[in-house]
Amino acid sequence: MSTEAADEPGEPATARGSVGVELGRRPLFYAVLGPFWAWLVVRWVHDWVLAPELNVTARETFFPTASLVAAGTTLRGAGAPAPVAGLLDWLAGGMDFVALGVEALPQLAAGAWATIVLTVVSILAGLVLAVPLSVARVYGGRAARYPALAVTELIRGTPLLAQLFVLYFGLGLTQYVREVPGVGVAVLPDTAVVVALIGFTINSAAYQSEYIRSALLSVDSGQLTAGRAIGLSKVDAIRHVVLPQGLRFAIPGWSNELVYLIKYSSLASFITVRELFFRAEEIGNATYRFVEVYTVAALFYIALVISASAVMSYVEGRVAIPGLGGKGRR
Amino acid sequence: MSLLRFEDVRQSYGAEEVLRGISFEMDRGDVEVVIGPSGSGKSTMLRCVNRLTEVDAGTIYLDGEAITTPDTDVNDLRRRVGMVFQDFNLFAHRTALGNVTLGLEEVLDYPREEARTEAMAQLERVGLADQADSYPAELSGGQKQRVGIARALAMDPELMLFDEPTSALDPELIGDVLAVMRDLAEEGMTMLCVTHEMGFARSAASTVSFLDGGQVVERGPPARLFESPANERTGEFLERLTSLHGGEQ
Repeated sequence: MSTEAADEPGEPATARGSVGVELGRRPLFYAVLGPFWAWLVVRWVHDWVLAPELNVTARETFFPTASLVAAGTTLRGAGAPAPVAGLLDWLAGGMDFVALGVEALPQLAAGAWATIVLTVVSILAGLVLAVPLSVARVYGGRAARYPALAVTELIRGTPLLAQLFVLYFGLGLTQYVREVPGVGVAVLPDTAVVVALIGFTINSAAYQSEYIRSALLSVDSGQLTAGRAIGLSKVDAIRHVVLPQGLRFAIPGWSNELVYLIKYSSLASFITVRELFFRAEEIGNATYRFVEVYTVAALFYIALVISASAVMSYVEGRVAIPGLGGKGRR
Repeated sequence: MSLLRFEDVRQSYGAEEVLRGISFEMDRGDVEVVIGPSGSGKSTMLRCVNRLTEVDAGTIYLDGEAITTPDTDVNDLRRRVGMVFQDFNLFAHRTALGNVTLGLEEVLDYPREEARTEAMAQLERVGLADQADSYPAELSGGQKQRVGIARALAMDPELMLFDEPTSALDPELIGDVLAVMRDLAEEGMTMLCVTHEMGFARSAASTVSFLDGGQVVERGPPARLFESPANERTGEFLERLTSLHGGEQ
């Protein structure tokens, strides 16, 4: 499509069409992420449904590693001359690394599940809190604006780890959460996870409200005026006119918060949540091979972050409206 | 009884007195055109009618009832008084149809289907039924303004306020909007228009007011006011306007 044609009015399909084009242009991206997610899902289904009776800490891998380890040992003992021996050693080291990685995979998959739950639930619950917070900041009277400002600044001004410690150790939230029916049953999150979810939700709400606040401020004031002018109450005009636009403007910043949260969720390991980082540390402690296992964990985080960005990019394209910010901009 | 009556209306922004005692009345079906130099208070006067701007003193009556009192239901008032803006202010996230249905669904509580039918009828009225599914960014300025008119008409207002509806338009797009406004005037809609379209004022207005320095300097039928202005300032202003627009339209 020529640029000229794209500038012509009357082509609402452009924004949505570009998503399809993007998918087709990134085959490598999908060649890597596709198998990663397929494997994760198979792994989870296997662990929860097919073999839940197995000891969680000693899950079997899908790919046996004994032959890799044996090959590595053979290469090291081959007794070749100097430069070749070095190369063989390097190869053997690589095989050991892969073998450890593969053995760590079931554990990391379980950790990745916890990380995903922490991230997705917190970002969505945080959004539910962030919208009224930001609306109060922008459109509220003093009675709404100052408390919202105080909460936001308190949360953004203190370390997330400190907030988690206050909830977990300080307030002893666990004793109340433990009584909630359903907590820790089957695949439902256990007590520590719930406390972490509460902490991340509150923290993320504060940050998200800042993104949404600046997005709301970028909605032209004439929009609210026009809404009021047809007889909408202020609340209705904000709900039906300002928010649908503001939330679209907020998507890029909001995606940023999602990416942060994926990695910040590793702080939950400090309050005993067995998420991705916690699992990696466990394996490191057991094998003393921290570099290798943290490298594999880092690859997990990268895969999660790239996936999240892709999903948000897709969402942004789906909700795009011609002439209204983001991908619909002309 | 008059439909709209201003009684010594005053309004200030800080120390700046924008309206200095405006009094006039218009009957149902009247088309009042307000002209005047920029900063004379024309838009402020309009915005006082639907309380987008609050008056400091004086009273405005709509259909005999004071609407500038604290206990006036402003949402209901705004439902009864439609407004068309200089820069359109169409809801950017909604299609032309969606712009018209919002008020029907959320203010008048129409069911979805009925709102759609009514909105289509309003778009038909301004000649834009074929653009129902276009977003504002996909419409020309003239089309946007006509959607703005349809959006206001959908609320079945008793009075329509036009705040320089053609000032932001390219010259060749003005005609369509003025044609819609003329139709409305002929249908008997009561209209209070701030506009410098002399052709429209001449052919559609029942009365023209010249506003300067926050006061109605002169008021009368368009033919009389344009041909033989009684006030010196009115004459000067009309002269400048005519030379600027290159005469009649």
